[in-house]
Amino acid sequence: MDMALDRTQLMVQRAVRAFARETLEEWANVLDRESRPLPAEIVAEMGRINLWGIQAPVRYGGAELDTVSYAIAIEEISRVSAAVGLGVTVHNSVCLAPLLKFGTPDQIERFVPDLASGRKIGGFTVTEPQAGSDAASIQTTAAPDGDSFIINGQKAFVTNGGVGDLFLVAATLDPAKKARGIAIFIIEKSMPGFQVGKIEDMMGMRGNMVSELFFNNVRVPKDNILGRPDEGFRISMQTLDIGRIGIAAQALGIGEAAFAAAATYAAERTQFGKPIGTFQAVSFKLAEMKTRLDAARLLVCRAACLKDRGLPFSTEAAMCKAYASDAAMRVCREALQVFGGYGYVKDLPVERFFRDAKITEIYEGTSEVMNIIIGNAIMKEFGRM
Amino acid sequence: MLSIIVCVKQVPDTQKAVFDPKTGAIDRSATGNIMNPDDRHALEMALALKDAHGATLCALTMGPPHADEVLYEACALGADRGVLLSDPRFAGADSLATSRALARAIERLGPFDIIVTGREAIDGNTGHVAYQLSEFLDAPLVSQIHRIRIDGAHAIIERQYGHEYQTIRCPLPALLSVGSRDNRVRHPRLADIAAGAVQPIRRMTMDDIGGSESDYGASGSPTIVIGAELFSHTRGREALPGGTAEKVEALVHRLKKHNILRY
Ligand SMILES: Cc1cc2nc3c(=O)[nH]c(=O)nc-3n(C[C@H](O)[C@H](O)[C@H](O)COP(=O)(O)OP(=O)(O)OC[C@H]3O[C@@H](n4cnc5c(N)ncnc54)[C@H](O)[C@@H]3O)c2cc1C
Repeated sequence: MDMALDRTQLMVQRAVRAFARETLEEWANVLDRESRPLPAEIVAEMGRINLWGIQAPVRYGGAELDTVSYAIAIEEISRVSAAVGLGVTVHNSVCLAPLLKFGTPDQIERFVPDLASGRKIGGFTVTEPQAGSDAASIQTTAAPDGDSFIINGQKAFVTNGGVGDLFLVAATLDPAKKARGIAIFIIEKSMPGFQVGKIEDMMGMRGNMVSELFFNNVRVPKDNILGRPDEGFRISMQTLDIGRIGIAAQALGIGEAAFAAAATYAAERTQFGKPIGTFQAVSFKLAEMKTRLDAARLLVCRAACLKDRGLPFSTEAAMCKAYASDAAMRVCREALQVFGGYGYVKDLPVERFFRDAKITEIYEGTSEVMNIIIGNAIMKEFGRM
Repeated sequence: MLSIIVCVKQVPDTQKAVFDPKTGAIDRSATGNIMNPDDRHALEMALALKDAHGATLCALTMGPPHADEVLYEACALGADRGVLLSDPRFAGADSLATSRALARAIERLGPFDIIVTGREAIDGNTGHVAYQLSEFLDAPLVSQIHRIRIDGAHAIIERQYGHEYQTIRCPLPALLSVGSRDNRVRHPRLADIAAGAVQPIRRMTMDDIGGSESDYGASGSPTIVIGAELFSHTRGREALPGGTAEKVEALVHRLKKHNILRY
């Protein structure tokens, strides 16, 4: 097993790091404080350098990179702005990726070029006010009507909701069938009856316009069903497997940013006549932070490598997401502690890292749900299910 | 179509560099390597010309085997091919021996309409190479380029010279020396990185460019380094005496003395 990055991966790391520092850094705090999206010209520039189509085929305007490079790109963006990292990972991994994987050639031709170039921003929405972890209990309905379906219902917590143009929307054809009644519809903002609800006022990720979405008799052509009509739940679960690698990479980026800030500060800040990093209580914190982050990195890398080789990676994705989000949360808590009172004020970004980190334990499946997935796999393996 | 060659150098990342406080030398093992910052601007100038007029663009570097990294990077940004000039016999070259080797390689690889270099490298800071290349290749050199376009066999160049703008017409082939203030370097597209990272690199040695061992490397280098010291950046304070008119006059005098005001 080769643990070193190859040349492409290293160059991707260098390039995305430079882009994030030179272009996104000055926006990171502004987006957070003002809870506003990135300016359109930066979104367009991100499109030019393929950040909206990291793994999409080159012929559709993407970069066709492997999943390891994908995770590197998300990590590097998230080090600087986790909110931008969120928009990028959701667009790529839970909108574009399932379109490419489950879409018909016609759907791919119609939707992928605009998404992969960033001319359109995408999202993926299952969650509803009454259906969170229990995703099969969604109430948004799809009723057949000639060559179309009529969609009615409400979605909650839609990443990119306020800025997105195209969403993969889970709706039920028959609530009695539970998971087997769910289909995924490709719904565009331009369709009559589509409405963006309130933009959430959140603790972190404030640069992403996470919103409610309403569907009032939205007529969607049959051609816009992704996969088979009874396959929606399975598609959602497989989509989230891919998405979780991105969320884990995002958590890793936040954790790395907090760690680097804390380590730098520990070397500079003196108390009792010495840099605080020379006190064992502080240096042990740094040692544990670094070890956890490296362990998280290996788990992310393993899940990404398995996916790249076409091997099963669902359990590994759940493990890397659960571990990396936990590592990010712990690292941010300890980093803030290293900063003392200066960690608690908004002049320095550590408090933002802290606020941003928390959600990585919640979305695309909570840590408890990750443990259900991992636990089920264990029970399956040991033959008791 | 234009034919352009850009000289790029791999340098230690001096922002992260560790210096030996006694000798003033960089600890090269402790420092990562990057493409010399000015050379990125040189490459950008070439890429802009390629975008505007169409061109084939060759990136050339002289250095140890791992210097090919800057060539892959150049290809990711839009260079069509990369050439690594590497030979143990080139080791220890000063700017003159470097320029001689580069010039001979350029002659072998050419002909080129435009040769672009960075203004200076952050490891040696001599800024010699562009001038020496101009001499070796017998081509005019233009620096501080603000705007450039190609008109047949000439380049029309607007350049910023001190506080003036000059517009000059210069025959091709010509050398351009580019610094960090001359343009803004683009970020590579990820798709181009994937393509650039696997681009075959041409490798050349002394045998490919001719000449004898005494032309190159330490033996071809007249420069003798007698010492290196670390820079120290210090600020001074000075209160100017007298009335307002005298203070202003004294201030203007100092600004002129330091070449901040020129008239
Ligand atoms: C910023 C943000 C962005 C989001 N983006 C999207 C998006 O783009 N698309 C989308 O569809 N959703 C999105 N979500 C929704 C997110 O995925 C859900 O919030 C998450 O799945 C949890 O659902 P819930 O909030 O309803 O919590 P609940 O499911 O009600 O869970 C509450 C608590 O109970 C625990 N719990 C629930 N069931 C079990 C169980 N069986 N065993 C043990 N513990 C359990 C949970 O772990 C959690 O701790 C986003 C949320 C946020 C905050």
